[in-house]
Amino acid sequence: MSILRISHLSLSLGGQQILDGINFNVEEGEVIGVIGPNGSGKTTLFNVLSGFLKPSHGTIHFCDKDITSYSASERARLGIGRVFQNFGIFRDMTLEENVLVALEALPKERRKALGNIKEVVKGTLAMVGLSQFAKRKAGSLSGGQMRLLEIARTLKAEKQLFLLDEPTAGVSPKMTSQIADLISELKREKKTVLIVEHDLPFISKICDRVIVLDVGKIVLTGKPQEVKQSKELQEIYFGANPAD
Amino acid sequence: MQLLVNALIAGSLAALIAGGLAVVYGVLGVFNLALGQLALIGGYTTWWLYQVLHLPLGLSIILGLACGALVTWVTFEIAVRPFFKHHRFLPLVTTIAWSMILDGLILLVFEERPRSILPGLKHIYEFSGIRISLEQGLLILATLVILLSFAYVFHRTSLGRRIRAVVQHEHAALSLGVPAGLLHGFLFVLSGVFAAAGGIFIGIDQSLTPTLAFPLTIKAYAAIIAGGKGNLWGAILFAYVIALLEQLLVGVHWFGAFYVPAGYQQTVALLFIIVILLIKPAGFFGNSSRTA
Repeated sequence: MSILRISHLSLSLGGQQILDGINFNVEEGEVIGVIGPNGSGKTTLFNVLSGFLKPSHGTIHFCDKDITSYSASERARLGIGRVFQNFGIFRDMTLEENVLVALEALPKERRKALGNIKEVVKGTLAMVGLSQFAKRKAGSLSGGQMRLLEIARTLKAEKQLFLLDEPTAGVSPKMTSQIADLISELKREKKTVLIVEHDLPFISKICDRVIVLDVGKIVLTGKPQEVKQSKELQEIYFGANPAD
Repeated sequence: MQLLVNALIAGSLAALIAGGLAVVYGVLGVFNLALGQLALIGGYTTWWLYQVLHLPLGLSIILGLACGALVTWVTFEIAVRPFFKHHRFLPLVTTIAWSMILDGLILLVFEERPRSILPGLKHIYEFSGIRISLEQGLLILATLVILLSFAYVFHRTSLGRRIRAVVQHEHAALSLGVPAGLLHGFLFVLSGVFAAAGGIFIGIDQSLTPTLAFPLTIKAYAAIIAGGKGNLWGAILFAYVIALLEQLLVGVHWFGAFYVPAGYQQTVALLFIIVILLIKPAGFFGNSSRTA
């Protein structure tokens, strides 16, 4: 079953075409990598899917519901979670408070189903090895720890679809491996994940499918190994004659 | 010592207005230059209900606050909401225009002469040479209760956590399902209620005149600029500091030779803004400390 259907999605800003007729479906439980050179429209696509930008044309269906006109918070409450390229954490709040905000924003019945909310907070921080910093301000964490906190917080907020924007940017190799483990955990739980990433080995390791964007269009799609070896990808990243 | 007490009284009034404004500025990043007028509307409405319609004082105050909230909501819908998403400086212009309209309405309805909610009813007490009225003592106490209640909500409740989340990273808060749009409106109206409370305090302690609006706005902005963007406690602290500086300027016999005329008191906030922007443009608690 397609959890996400994107049809003819276009966006122009200031007379410039940023996204141009994007079409793709995402099946439940799939992990999809979205790659492409800088300025190809990857983060803009995530901003449109999250509800921060309204598309000029096209529709977005999530769980068979047309969410094109929904606000960002309405989409989040439906089950779309986002991890930001520039760390979407609340730096002047403690780690506990960061997780609490996510849990308290859940619809009432889902929040009740979680049980003791304090225990869920403890469990979330323990899951990513940050229990000892529970009372510290999130701004005092390293880049990798901030990323783990953000992913864990989104994970516990019971989302169905995760939009991860460059989750390994500015993160040590050890933390990158921890993040990969977290995404694998999501996969095991049949959650759907879209990842914008520049790290091709990382994408190859965890994604089922890769979509390549260039100048706002999908130019290539396929399994990670196929895409990685394709001539088109080389051309997009290095030009038509890389040897020159 | 009398200067300190006077500063505490004047600072309490300014702290209320600046505190609400600091949160709004932290969340929306917009300037509301009609704030002084909103304070006066709260004060004048209470005066009218109590002195003209002879309603009980408590009820007049509650309705004065409600009227402040209503006009603030109208201000938000007309002069802020349609513009701040396009550019955060647009409300700077629209709220100036709106403040002029409110100025005209205040003049038309309440006229130019001073209006006092409690004229000639002050109960003055004297302790070791310090004079303070019962009403002033109650105003300081009320400010303390309001600010402490706000602090509790802000730092200890789910609503407070959501507000702080929106202040610190609006997109992240939205992507977790926090309804930031609703909070924008709620906080803006709350700042208007705080301002209206400030206006009521002026009407009780002194008297209301239409020309008070601009100095009130400037004092509140001087406090939030010095406190750092969106820093609630910084704004409150500097509201008291500015009040103290104002009292020192006109209350001290300078070099044993002259007193500065009381009319110059209003210049303190303006000079304060210039000095802070020159030496500490991000404010004293900008970025590094707890933000609102």
